[in-house]
Amino acid sequence: MILKSLELKNFRKHNDSKYEFAPSLNYLIGGNGVGKTTVLEAIYLISTTKSFRSSPDSELTAFGAESYEVISFIESFTSHKVRIYYSKQENKRVYFNDGKPLARSADIIGKFPVVVLTPADLELTHGYPADRRRFADQVISQASQAYLNILLDYNRTLKQRSSLLFKLKEQRSRSFLDQLEAWNEKLVNSGTQLVEFRRRFITDFKDYLTESYSNIMKKQETPQIEYESFARQDDDIKKVFAEKLAENRENELRRASNLVGPHRDDFVFSINGKSLRTYGSQGQHKTFQVALKFAQFFYLKDSLKNTPFFLLDDVFGELDKKRSLAISRYLKEVGQAFITLTDFSNHEFLSHDENDAAIFLSEVAAG
Amino acid sequence: MNLAAPLQAVVDELSKFPGVGAKSARRLALFLLRQPPEQVDLLIEALTGLKTKIKFCKICFNIGEEEICEICASEKRDQNTICVVEDINDVIAIERSHEYNGAYHVLGGVLSPLNGVGPEDLKVKELLVRLKGEIKEVILALNPDTEGEATSLYLNRLIEPMDIPVSRIARGLPIGGNIEFADDATIGRAVSGRGKF
Ligand SMILES: [Zn+2]
Repeated sequence: MILKSLELKNFRKHNDSKYEFAPSLNYLIGGNGVGKTTVLEAIYLISTTKSFRSSPDSELTAFGAESYEVISFIESFTSHKVRIYYSKQENKRVYFNDGKPLARSADIIGKFPVVVLTPADLELTHGYPADRRRFADQVISQASQAYLNILLDYNRTLKQRSSLLFKLKEQRSRSFLDQLEAWNEKLVNSGTQLVEFRRRFITDFKDYLTESYSNIMKKQETPQIEYESFARQDDDIKKVFAEKLAENRENELRRASNLVGPHRDDFVFSINGKSLRTYGSQGQHKTFQVALKFAQFFYLKDSLKNTPFFLLDDVFGELDKKRSLAISRYLKEVGQAFITLTDFSNHEFLSHDENDAAIFLSEVAAG
Repeated sequence: MNLAAPLQAVVDELSKFPGVGAKSARRLALFLLRQPPEQVDLLIEALTGLKTKIKFCKICFNIGEEEICEICASEKRDQNTICVVEDINDVIAIERSHEYNGAYHVLGGVLSPLNGVGPEDLKVKELLVRLKGEIKEVILALNPDTEGEATSLYLNRLIEPMDIPVSRIARGLPIGGNIEFADDATIGRAVSGRGKF
């Protein structure tokens, strides 16, 4: 899959910018505040409907503007024009795929897969379980529309159920308790599907992680990833889920919140059998974060039979020379990538040949 | 520019329609303004008829021109099979498929704690009363979205002790799908290929 061009209108600092891209590596070069990360952000928005900086649409709209627009031309099996239009007044964002508006923007997810590597990835290994769940959900959702639908359904169920638990806290009525039984069953049904999906995913993903880790670190280190859920490997998920709900019933009613389920899952990383969190060096953490993203890339590529866009935001400033070199070489296997850099001179080792593009952004171009 | 008050009044009313924004409301109002008076009279008459002549069926809460709707009154239809739907649009959609020959029960919504909709706000009690009669099957045909599924599970729990077979349509309808927007063939397949709940 190739992103041919990108046009940004009133998107953050870009009043009217247009870029043409090479099918290989694209270096976006410029100082701080010229809006190079914003270019990556726009590409990510097209693919996932979300900003990787978690910014709301109102923040993405240029100061003083009433709307923003992102227009892209993508070669993915055939040519596509994907356009995003956001109107501040209506607070409404619409995705157009080849001129047709999409009923729900989530329908675009997985069509144009993407992987992003940013300094914020340190949260993947250092942060909370929520950071790792978000990563896993993001990978599986892009690979499977079915998973995305189950995830949205499960999250909606959590919302409805917590609203009901809240009502029950105020008034423990028969009617509310009867409804809770139905919502419990609903939670167990879709939660079980979610766990099954995640189990299958981790089984497949392990090999990709091992492969990409060894491509970055040619040492005798074996990375592991384990899925930690309320149910153990051989448990009957549905049965255990229902039992845990029953056990926690009073607790949930008292605290008016969802205390059991895959929204509390975690993924545990280790190297050579030792917990990364407890024993990992800074270097190992960094390698692990990068390896996860390369593993995501090749996992998506194989499951979708489509090459994702690879976005690297300000990655090389943080890495030592050895890792940078390994990543730079690895990138050559990737296909199309978008890499932000402050300048080239510190990064002579980065591979770049006549097929790659260096795009210089300046304050003037950014308007 | 401010619109003249009588025009603005029409725009305001039209903007209340689902899916109609201020811009389309203005376009529709200006269209009406350009119409000959007879044309507008026809519209007024039709709208008045809608509110005075249309009744909600006392049995199934479908719409009709009598106290009892055409479907409930028909001797050709199997009155012992009840298909439970969310709203009248779903009756219309399922009827269009010509695959179903039983009766309906229009719930008038689905459970949603977030929106403050509980069983008391739906025609649940009325359904249970109907089930005390000679009913041989209940088909739950609610949308396969989060609230529709939860409502199906809720109803199934209520009907289970009554020893009436409960089935539900599912096949062919995608999760997050909407019966109203599915094509006739899909609905037909879904109703005739319903599975036991
Ligand atoms: Zn009727």
